[in-house]
Amino acid sequence: MPQIQLLVVQPTPFCNIDCRYCYLPDRTNKAVVAEETLHNLFSQVFASGWADEGLSVVWHAGEPMVLPVAFYRRAFAMIDGLKPAGLPVRHSFQTNGTLIDDAWCDFVTEAEIGIGVSIDGPQPLHDRNRVTRSGRGTFDKTIAGVRRLKERGVPFHVISVLTAESLAAPREMFDFYLAEGIDQVCFNVEESEGEHRSASFAEAGIEDAYYRFLSEFWRLSAAHPGQLKFIREIDDAQRNIFRPHETGFFNQLATPFAITSMDWTGNIATFSPELLGLKSPLYDDFVLGNINRDRLIDLAARPLLARMKADIDAGIAQCRKGCEYFSVCGGGEPVNKLFENGSFATAETTYCRITKMRVTDLVLDRLERLPGFGEGGEAARAAANASPVG
Amino acid sequence: MSLRLKYQTVLTQLAPAGAVGVSLALGAASPAAAAATPTDTQPSVADKEKVSERLAAVRDAVAALADEKTAAAKAEGRLAWGNWGGGWGGGWGGGYPWNNWHNWRNWGNWFHNW
Repeated sequence: MPQIQLLVVQPTPFCNIDCRYCYLPDRTNKAVVAEETLHNLFSQVFASGWADEGLSVVWHAGEPMVLPVAFYRRAFAMIDGLKPAGLPVRHSFQTNGTLIDDAWCDFVTEAEIGIGVSIDGPQPLHDRNRVTRSGRGTFDKTIAGVRRLKERGVPFHVISVLTAESLAAPREMFDFYLAEGIDQVCFNVEESEGEHRSASFAEAGIEDAYYRFLSEFWRLSAAHPGQLKFIREIDDAQRNIFRPHETGFFNQLATPFAITSMDWTGNIATFSPELLGLKSPLYDDFVLGNINRDRLIDLAARPLLARMKADIDAGIAQCRKGCEYFSVCGGGEPVNKLFENGSFATAETTYCRITKMRVTDLVLDRLERLPGFGEGGEAARAAANASPVG
Repeated sequence: MSLRLKYQTVLTQLAPAGAVGVSLALGAASPAAAAATPTDTQPSVADKEKVSERLAAVRDAVAALADEKTAAAKAEGRLAWGNWGGGWGGGWGGGYPWNNWHNWRNWGNWFHNW
């Protein structure tokens, strides 16, 4: 039986800003998901038994905060009424932060909503790409939202998209986070997805630049212990490298329904959440069915799902056979394989070279640079004693 | 000295600092630390083992460390890992510290790719 770990719900495709690297094709559409559609989704998810260990719900794929707090109050109350007693359901928003005010902080605190803010670093870097439809930078409004969260004690993390310019500025990025009291950071690279073609991927030396960026950022973080609590790329890489043999890598992005996505019309997709909304004649735009017309449990038997899964599995088999990094990756990201290589049934991508291989290299290189590596215990003991945390 | 023993040597010394301490020690192990500008580049792979062999050796080292600590804990009548002093297991609910790195696994990876 499938297990839904993450449910991505598009409350509206509309976004109030117009980032230059955005891959969402319908972001001027101000449509809103109907309450009946939400009811159909959640009642079926809970009845299916596919989420009997808990559920994370992310409201995204459009700016979730363009809808009023009252919309979510009604939706969350309905979901609470539908869910089995005792089942943990955690809601999260990924937001551009421009609309955060006291009313949002009150609601986020009350409903214990996880918040991720998209901000690309200091103003000159952020405003290069994160702009309004008239082309004006959005930094001032985003940082006002971040500061409001800080003032109100609302926990959050940030996601910063790295471009060639920010990859050359690790210290500026680090200083920015510290100055703003941001202590949990995630880095994305500008990817090629849908109609968007990454300018960063076309840059010569992008892999080396990413390695250098993370190396310096990690060094700065280690020199300021306790300031940054979480650097996703570093922490995830260590978790995957230092894990026991017997713990296999679970590739959520390649497991049917582990991530389930629904757009505002009720269309359902799975695997990489970015797929929903993108066009593909080969895969019927990745839509398995519609929650207003179809039964969720029937979608698991759709021929389209079997065809996508077979192609994704064929790609993973290539990764398993030929990639040195398979044990830290589990076969990669279907959406990147499709839009970089033209098929799910392929292996290496620029995305995986940057975000998996070079980060793994960095952790292994650091481990091998420690005093005592290959020299016996004394020098390594000295290194450990010098560590600021004991 | 085998690759596994090399990793085991450094991990043995770092482990008592816990997962955060390991990360800090690795973060500080940069050649750029002594330089005025960030010049770190990836070392040549020509003289290194294959990545898959390095990863396997790291995990062998982690397993050997786990075995040592489990045996020591049993000998002292303590629960393995969970109550081991120094922070490796403490605070992580037992097991390897990186099994529950920062508790973010509870969030799935919803913030992974947007």
